[in-house]
Amino acid sequence: MATAPSGTHNFKVVLLGEGCVGKTSLLLRYIEDKFNDKHLTTLQATFLNKRLNINGKRVNLSIWDTAGQEKFHALGPIYYRNSNGAILVYDITDEDSFGKVKNWVKELKKMLGSDIVLTIAGNKIDLEHERTVPLEEAESYANMVGAQHFYTSAKLNQGVEELFLDLTRTMIERYEQNSQTDVNRTSQVVVVDDEAAPPQTSCCSGNKTN
Amino acid sequence: MIPVVVKISKMPSLRIDQSDLKCKNGCDYFGNPQWQGYCSKCHREQMQRQRKAEKASSATLPKPETKKPDRGLKITSHSSFSKFEEKRHRQSETLKKANLLKFSVFKKSSTDDHEHSSEKRPPEFKIPPQVNEGMKRDFRMRFPQLAQSRSKEPSLAVDRDCRAFVNSFIMDVIKCTNVMTVDELSERVQRQYQRFMKHMDTSAHFSHVDADTKELLMDFVEKHAMTYLHELPSIVFSPNGTEDERLDRAMSERIQQLSWVGERHLECRLDMNHAECRQLLYKAISELLGMDSALSPGDKLARVRRCCRHVLRLCSSSAPASADDLLPALIFTVLKANPPRLVSNINFVTRFCNAQRLMTGEGGYYFTNLCCAVSFIENLTAESLNMEKKEFDCYMAMPASIGGSAWAAALSLCGAAREADEQRALAHKLRAHTRTIHERADLLAANAKSFEEQIAKKVEDVLAKTPLEIKPRRELPRIGKFKEISTAPLIDLGTSHAHGEPEPPPETKPEPQPEPTVPQEPNITIQASENEPKLNILGFEVIERQSPSKSPQNLDQTWDLKQTSSLELLTPSPLGFTPFDSRSIDELMTPDDFGADQLPPGLSNINYDIDLSDFSGDNSIAEDAPKSDPKDPFSPEALKKTFDPFAPQTSRGYEALDSFDEFSFVDQRKQETDPFEVVHRGQDPFSPVDIAKDPFFSPPKQSTSILDDNDSPTSGCLLPSPMQPQSSGKPT
Repeated sequence: MATAPSGTHNFKVVLLGEGCVGKTSLLLRYIEDKFNDKHLTTLQATFLNKRLNINGKRVNLSIWDTAGQEKFHALGPIYYRNSNGAILVYDITDEDSFGKVKNWVKELKKMLGSDIVLTIAGNKIDLEHERTVPLEEAESYANMVGAQHFYTSAKLNQGVEELFLDLTRTMIERYEQNSQTDVNRTSQVVVVDDEAAPPQTSCCSGNKTN
Repeated sequence: MIPVVVKISKMPSLRIDQSDLKCKNGCDYFGNPQWQGYCSKCHREQMQRQRKAEKASSATLPKPETKKPDRGLKITSHSSFSKFEEKRHRQSETLKKANLLKFSVFKKSSTDDHEHSSEKRPPEFKIPPQVNEGMKRDFRMRFPQLAQSRSKEPSLAVDRDCRAFVNSFIMDVIKCTNVMTVDELSERVQRQYQRFMKHMDTSAHFSHVDADTKELLMDFVEKHAMTYLHELPSIVFSPNGTEDERLDRAMSERIQQLSWVGERHLECRLDMNHAECRQLLYKAISELLGMDSALSPGDKLARVRRCCRHVLRLCSSSAPASADDLLPALIFTVLKANPPRLVSNINFVTRFCNAQRLMTGEGGYYFTNLCCAVSFIENLTAESLNMEKKEFDCYMAMPASIGGSAWAAALSLCGAAREADEQRALAHKLRAHTRTIHERADLLAANAKSFEEQIAKKVEDVLAKTPLEIKPRRELPRIGKFKEISTAPLIDLGTSHAHGEPEPPPETKPEPQPEPTVPQEPNITIQASENEPKLNILGFEVIERQSPSKSPQNLDQTWDLKQTSSLELLTPSPLGFTPFDSRSIDELMTPDDFGADQLPPGLSNINYDIDLSDFSGDNSIAEDAPKSDPKDPFSPEALKKTFDPFAPQTSRGYEALDSFDEFSFVDQRKQETDPFEVVHRGQDPFSPVDIAKDPFFSPPKQSTSILDDNDSPTSGCLLPSPMQPQSSGKPT
């Protein structure tokens, strides 16, 4: 977890998932909806820096797209190290992609523990009739691993905004929980320390993952 | 995989048997002293084994000890052998580092024990003042809003704080570099960054600075600290105690071997035959190559960012590029670029860039992609390229120079094209430059022409005016001296012709009478006409009244004395008129000859003198005349157009003046031509006046006599009007 000066939260979110499940489309939809008047960003849909204000808290969201090809799977750790949130995207018409999500969840849990907020997104609900991943299975799995589950359609622009907003809220909560436990653990109640301590832990954890 | 690594530098020690060069493991590949005599493959395996062993041993130990082994201290007994080995390895590297620093940075006498000297060093080490100066300048440039807008005090404090932080930061890093491993150092640096961030949040100096500016300040501080540290050898960039340099070489070799990997292997959509595509790739590559020359982590990141932007444009021909496109294209770019010291650069940024920025931010994202690309290249196998293992091995065994030649050619084409572009741009610029010069030249010419015309027009205007102005002025002084000067009414020679000349003397004599009344010039003219009804008075002839009396009386005496000399010299040189000398002797002789006839030979010379004295009066007028001097610039033109034809006439005019002075009118007529031409030419100053006069009086001159010509400027029609005001003024 990281705080920038003056209480702005800096969150890093990675988009993970098999190729062709619509990670890029989700991101593109989110970019375009927000920046309809500015078409500068549409050159690329790989990276998005976004500022949000949620309940008076300023959040700086960095959303990273990742290459989904199988041959780049091994590079995952480089992408998701130090990230605060992950969006795991699968295609509801493709059971394999859901299997991939399970793999990712396992890997993330192993590498980052509870530091990372997971959100699972079943994309392409506009192709509901071709669904192969049962709704119940997906949701129960999400509950099991402690992840939010969303249905989205980048094509119809359904659930995208909600997905990112909810993720951000959860990340703020998680961050505050962590800093709470930090304070409790160190039993230091200096406000300045409160801000200083979390970055240190993040720094150390970052080095460990190296 | 990488079978042969034989350094040329090892050649002198050829006594070693070839078998000694082979891998210690006994496989058929050559070994390398840098890899402890193993070949690359065996060395890697060995290293992995070691690492595993270390992990196993460290797992059994309490964490703090593994985290912070004191390099300088004796090793405690319970560590396993591999760990001991490693520690010793590190220790020796620390020694090496200390020695290096001693010689390269601190220039300290080598007698000190490095273990103890490390404490003493910091005070000796001075950060060069350029760092401070550079920061000051850069601060003003980057944060003009901080440096100017706010009240002076806090902004100065911000500047000062930044510099103080950089100084302490650099000192801290240098102090720690001897006693810490790179990872510890990196951690410390990150903590320093956080410290500064906290300082910015809490300090009152920064209360007016907004969050974005704070981030910029952070970058600013990082940049300056790291730029300086980067230049010190082996402290932060590929530091001693790491294998960065070796990895750099390995990576470079690896990339070279993979030069056969093409776009189709990576499944990225690149069209080599497309010119724009080639250009973009070329730009991306040059940015990537530029990363090595950038000094601070921020600058390196900026390079990577620019590189990736080019790559993105490369991929995003149809739809916005996604990460799925970016990564393969970036891998391809890295393969084609083979950037120098790639691993060192990446490690440097990872270790010492502000972690916050590396984690978020666009630069961080692209850098991560680059890391992924490098990692992919490192671990590239046949499967990752979707090809048969056999084929892959075949490609790998191939000499590096064969593969990828098509792209190499395309890229070199790119380079040439770019060069050509630059040349063309340069040529274009030069052409434009020449064109502007031409235009300016034309403009100048036009200006000159218009100016010329303008001037010509002015000249005409002035010419129209000048006779009015000049002539009165010319006479004014004389009128002022009227008691001494007699104004002789001009004789219209049209009537009196040649006979008019002998008559002027009588005219001059009566004039003294009109003089008292002179102030009113019309009167003069009238009086003159009254006095001499026989003559048609065109104007005044200015003749010094005294000259008749003076010249014989005074000048004769003075010049008589000089006659001898002049005679001896046969030149009128005493007057200082070189033109006389330059004239032909004939001309000089003539006056003498004439003088010999009627006057003493010296007199003829005296004539000149007198002329001068007279004309000195004229000179003063001529000096006044310069008010007509604005016309002077035109004189050349006037000379060209008007003067030449009339020159002889004007000369005659002056002769006439001279002749008056001498009273030898008869002689003058005879002498007219020769001697006085000379005189006149000598006296250039008058020429403009004459010129001015000439155009108006050419007709009377043509009529005949010298006197007319001379006096023509003062012709009656022109004269009276200007004279009147003055003349009328005088009496009143």
